Amino acid sequence: MSQRNYLITYIVMVALQILIGNYFRLTPLITLTLLPAIILCLPDRVGTGGALLIAFVSGLAVDWLSEGVIGLNALALVPVAFVRKGVINLMFGTELSERHESFSIRKHGLGKVSFALLMVQSLFLVIYIAADGAGLRSTSFNLIRFSLSLLTGYLLSLLIVDIAAPDERK
Amino acid sequence: MPANRNIIPSIINAVIFIVLEIAALNMLNNNEKLQNIWISAKIHGFMAKAWGGSESIRRYFNLSKENEDLAQENFALSQKIRKYQAYIELNHISEADSAITKTVGFKYIPASIIKVSRNKQHNYIIISKGSNQGITPKSGIISRNGVVGIIDAVGKEYSYALSFMNSEISISARLGKQGAVGPMVWDGRSTKGALLKEIPLQYKFHPGDTIYTSGYSSIFPADIPLGVAGTSRIVNGATNEIKIKLFQDFSMLRYVTVVTNVGEVEMNDLEKSEEPVNEKK
Repeated sequence: MSQRNYLITYIVMVALQILIGNYFRLTPLITLTLLPAIILCLPDRVGTGGALLIAFVSGLAVDWLSEGVIGLNALALVPVAFVRKGVINLMFGTELSERHESFSIRKHGLGKVSFALLMVQSLFLVIYIAADGAGLRSTSFNLIRFSLSLLTGYLLSLLIVDIAAPDERK
Repeated sequence: MPANRNIIPSIINAVIFIVLEIAALNMLNNNEKLQNIWISAKIHGFMAKAWGGSESIRRYFNLSKENEDLAQENFALSQKIRKYQAYIELNHISEADSAITKTVGFKYIPASIIKVSRNKQHNYIIISKGSNQGITPKSGIISRNGVVGIIDAVGKEYSYALSFMNSEISISARLGKQGAVGPMVWDGRSTKGALLKEIPLQYKFHPGDTIYTSGYSSIFPADIPLGVAGTSRIVNGATNEIKIKLFQDFSMLRYVTVVTNVGEVEMNDLEKSEEPVNEKK
């Protein structure tokens, strides 16, 4: 996928997240988010510094245009960008970074991709749910919210990987 | 060099990460009331822990100074108690004639221990006060737990004392407040052991009875608690020798009070002037 195509895909996915934030709020127990998967799927040539800035801007965009709690998505998404390279190296090996390739379900298998998605999704949700609850929600509520959000977010993220991972579409 | 190449981008990334997280937290803090309260509580909790930790460290390093202050305060309080005791005693002269001299006529000077020996038969102590602070030879050294020693030599800023843990020292001690009096010496073995000697057999006592200074010497005031009586044995079929467990553990010694009998010179003069008179008689 060319740089321009990826940029368009990226903008579309952030717009999709904004739409989800505005129109798909089924229950307070589910926080449906694509953002961690979007950051994980950033092209390898985007370094950690760039990924941090992209995550911050994307998070703020979603905060401003959908959820209204300014800083919440940015706060949870920046750590995902910070650990992105580490997760990729851990799950797919350092060769991927050395060859500047992207990961895909076909090349690396559903298990590894799922595990990577669950890791970044969990990190995002832990911070998001803690900051959103502001210490007022019970632990059981937060645990249920985390579990349901992780499950739904994971399923949606597999779709994002399918769209964003360029090799997969060849 | 390659290591440096890896470290510098990592540091830059870490700095960017921290800056962006702080920015996000700041936005959350300024825009949402609930999050504002939550973040403030977290920050205050963190600051309290950090300050508490630093305060603990600071206190730890200031312990020596605080101990000095506490010793000074303890001494000041002891002085007040002695004054009150003297006042009470002076107002009950008929009840305790002998008690008048217990605290009246003694001067007290606080000091700290510079050096102390514990593992010899002739142990000594060096204290932080000397003649410039009014210390004189033959003054006693006490602590709140009993008798510590006797000043032997005095320098300008330091004094050398014979510890009670010294086979040359003997203190006049009494069994209880009204009991028999005898010399008390170090047992020569432990830092908390002593022997009370020459107690006549007719004086009954029980293990656990408190031993006090008798006040019969001009060095120590009377009624300073020294320790408790333990087991005893009969010596030469005539007297009891009682094992004493001292209140003062000499291995824990740090701050002391030097006690000087201000009337000692006058008492000595009286003794000297009395001898020729007797001779004349």
